[in-house]
Amino acid sequence: MNDANQKTHAMDFSDMGRTPSAPTDEVAISVENLDLYYGEAKALKSINMKIPKNRVTAFIGPSGCGKSTLLRCFNRMNDLVDICRVEGKINLEGKNIYDKDVNVALLRRRVGMVFQKPNPFPKSIFENVAYGLRIMGVNDKEVLTAAVEKALRGAALWNEVKDRLQDSGMSLSGGQQQRLVIARAIALEPEILLLDEPASALDPISTAKIEELVDEMKDKYTIVIVTHNMQQAARVSDYTAFMYMGDLIEFGNTDTLFVKPTQKQTEDYITGRFG
Amino acid sequence: MEKIEADITKAGGYTGRRMAKDKLFKHVMTFGGLSVIIAISLIFVYLASVVVPLFLPATMDKLESFPAVGVQQETTVHLTAEEQAEIGVRFANQGSVAFFDMRNGKAMGEERVALPEGATVTSFAAGDLSQRSVAYGLSDGRMIILQQDFKVTFKEDAKDSEKDVRTITPSIDYPVGKEPLVIDAAGHALKLLTMQHHAENTAAVALTDDNRLVLTAFESSENMMTGEVSSERTSVELPPVEGEISQLILEVKQRDLYVVHGGRYISHYDVMNQSSPQLLQTVAVVPEGQKITAVNILSGGFSLIVGSNTGEIAQWFQVRDDNNVNHLTHIRSFKSMDGAVTTIAPEHYRKGFVAGDDKGNIGLYYATSNKLLLTRSTGTDPVRVAGIAPRANAVLIEGPGNTFQSARIENDFPEISFSSLWQKVWYESYQEPEYNWQSSAATSDFEPKFSVAPLTFGTLKAAFYAMMVAVPLAVLGAIFAAYFMSPKMRGVVKPSIEIMEALPTVILGFLAGLWLAPFVDNNLAGTLVAIFLLPFSFVITAYLWHLLPDHLTQRVGPGWEAALLIPVIILVIWTSIAIGHPIEAALFNGDMPNWISNELGWDYEQRNSLVVGIAMGFAVIPTIFSIAEDAVFSVPKHLTTGSLALGATPWQTLFNVVILTASPGIFSAIMVGMGRAVGETMIVLMATGNTAVMDLSIFTGFRTLSANIGVEMPEAAVGTTHYRLLFFSALVLFAFTFAVNTVAELIRQRLREKYSSL
Repeated sequence: MNDANQKTHAMDFSDMGRTPSAPTDEVAISVENLDLYYGEAKALKSINMKIPKNRVTAFIGPSGCGKSTLLRCFNRMNDLVDICRVEGKINLEGKNIYDKDVNVALLRRRVGMVFQKPNPFPKSIFENVAYGLRIMGVNDKEVLTAAVEKALRGAALWNEVKDRLQDSGMSLSGGQQQRLVIARAIALEPEILLLDEPASALDPISTAKIEELVDEMKDKYTIVIVTHNMQQAARVSDYTAFMYMGDLIEFGNTDTLFVKPTQKQTEDYITGRFG
Repeated sequence: MEKIEADITKAGGYTGRRMAKDKLFKHVMTFGGLSVIIAISLIFVYLASVVVPLFLPATMDKLESFPAVGVQQETTVHLTAEEQAEIGVRFANQGSVAFFDMRNGKAMGEERVALPEGATVTSFAAGDLSQRSVAYGLSDGRMIILQQDFKVTFKEDAKDSEKDVRTITPSIDYPVGKEPLVIDAAGHALKLLTMQHHAENTAAVALTDDNRLVLTAFESSENMMTGEVSSERTSVELPPVEGEISQLILEVKQRDLYVVHGGRYISHYDVMNQSSPQLLQTVAVVPEGQKITAVNILSGGFSLIVGSNTGEIAQWFQVRDDNNVNHLTHIRSFKSMDGAVTTIAPEHYRKGFVAGDDKGNIGLYYATSNKLLLTRSTGTDPVRVAGIAPRANAVLIEGPGNTFQSARIENDFPEISFSSLWQKVWYESYQEPEYNWQSSAATSDFEPKFSVAPLTFGTLKAAFYAMMVAVPLAVLGAIFAAYFMSPKMRGVVKPSIEIMEALPTVILGFLAGLWLAPFVDNNLAGTLVAIFLLPFSFVITAYLWHLLPDHLTQRVGPGWEAALLIPVIILVIWTSIAIGHPIEAALFNGDMPNWISNELGWDYEQRNSLVVGIAMGFAVIPTIFSIAEDAVFSVPKHLTTGSLALGATPWQTLFNVVILTASPGIFSAIMVGMGRAVGETMIVLMATGNTAVMDLSIFTGFRTLSANIGVEMPEAAVGTTHYRLLFFSALVLFAFTFAVNTVAELIRQRLREKYSSL
């Protein structure tokens, strides 16, 4: 398959993304003609897509396909890479987040992110969750206490840690740490939660808990999850995007995409012929 | 390829060689590690073995008792011994002198002073103990001076030099001739006498039986032409004192006379000018109700030791007040004796003395360290007379029932005590108690000042000023290099700073002492202005940079901004130095160092803490920078991104996550730097004045423990207190750097453990 062809397909399916199968879905993020370069190398090629609000959208694809890169565009974490350059638009409530007047710190408050490896700070559980609020200037003890409890409950961790909030965040197990990090993100009450392979470093039971949590959280947040694991994508997401070599190959309703993919590449991938 | 062995219990062939290699390296590594630990332990053990004797208590052998030697009808007035403490000497009140074996009392000869016709002995005076001269006062107002003489002869054994016999032959000499010197021209008997005889000068003060105090001095001079010795005599009557005079003490340099009288008083006469002596002062040296029962003067002729009937023992000496007037002052009280003090015998060369009481106890004291070294009971009868051997290695006392007792003493380091090492000590001739280090002087009877407090203080002061310079620069630099600097620039900066560490400190010290110190001295105002302006200039430059249009600022790559400060630093330093002299001219009468010492009254030295701070700060920066940079750089990236993803700004991330996580590493970097600053020798040796003063001023120098070892070790005699104290300073330094480095390492390991799960 040549490059031009691939591009056409990608365009086709991003069009499909513009008319999600459930017509009631509002759009949380719309991506328009997004190109991303690492130095000279083009890592994302003319991505167009609309992420539906209050739904779980999964990005799948083989390693190096650009799914994490795309995810990191949504809260401009790619800014940290010196050689990274972005062209195109990502609109959040109609505002292009790559505009000059956008304050990255405030953007990231609204678009929370959880990483592959649990990364609690070397602070207490309480301070980990309160971190985001503290840097926003919230120092009222009562407000913090209430917010921490709410976030820990939201991340289904409260019952496990309520008696040891002053213990180090590092003392928790891997699965608990990941839920702590989720609590830390949702303590800021973001609109969008980006999960970058949140369960790939966890055991099956912890993974199940995270998946359960994702399901519970989607009423409140728009969730975008990058995963290696197709079963996980099938289990947790409402919509799935399949990416390959920097192209968005197919994006649509999860059930449809997994049962009846329209693209050969998608089919090859989900049936395990490459990947 | 060999077949892989199927048996997992036996390894042969290739696997065997692999295992053997593994074992070999394991053993080599273990050996290397253990050797290092053993070497360090041995250094510690060696240092400790030299130091420990300093703190061992003085010991005394069992007292050997033997019947009194010499003419039994006479009473003993003075006991002493020859240099080797083998022969004891007894002077009796009628002029008989007996020599005997110190250990068993075996008589070794007896002499009688050659008295002129019709005269009898009426008084006795011990002169300078180190000169072994004594004098007898006679009933005809004259005085005769004797000197003990010990001739040492060797009889060599032809076959075996081990069997050489050393014979000491005691005798009595008359250094100014057998003809008595006339003290009281009126010819009255001398009831009390004190005398000092020194080469050409002889002086004596006597109380005559008609209660006049007479000072008589003789100065002999030799005629160059004829070789004839002529003697000039001056005699003068001293102003009287109240009460009965019980003792006269003329100080060894013949300048001061102390008269003990009235039971409680000591009067001090200035007899420097022998033709017009003056009574300066009369002081009650014991409280009302007590009585002086024994007084003696310590070697060096400065301190009086006063014992009372209640057993109190105190040291007194003249202290000069602000108006240059001397006052006999109470310096310190020693631990009391059980009974009334009957005798006080000073050591011949040091500031120690032995005291005896009327309940048969003796006590060995040391003045400088205010220590009662040991006590011993000789029985129940009063100790009548005591004496110490010249090397202070034996005591001889006349005790109960007309017996003598003698014992060997092991007392090499009496001047060391916690208080003499670490607290203020009132040294002889000082106006007040002070911390002082002065290990040697021109005279042998000087009081060594062994306070390590000013040295430790100097060490910490040096480290403090070095850290003031190094910590902000190194730590902030490390944070900038690790967190903001572009990898390319970091690749240049980090190795360059680390290479600074390889610079020999002797070169830094040399530059600091011979170039920087005079430069700072000449441009003091400029230097201070530069130090003050540099931090501000950084902030202002950063602000101006921020104001510049983007297309200009973007030409400098991200993380290269720091390079822009180089011209700023040069410009600021150049400007500061340039305006320094006009500032000094306008505000400080043209010379700031002078202004500081004259107008502010602060001490100012050219080689001061400012210079050392800069030079040693420079030496310590690489150590701190290198470790701190590693600590900041190794803060896991996912923690930084995690913080940024929560909406924290880079500064918030830096302070709340990066520095927090790196803080143990930064702390350990500072500790290691501190350890380095404390142990540093060459820079402080060459760039300070090495005076052991204790003040925090940035304009004065100091002397550090390490520099002190460097300076004094070559001149310290092996085995002496001084030598061992230098080892003690080394041990203190070693312990300090060891502790600091251990703490730093423990913290670093804790850090590693804490973040290993990240």
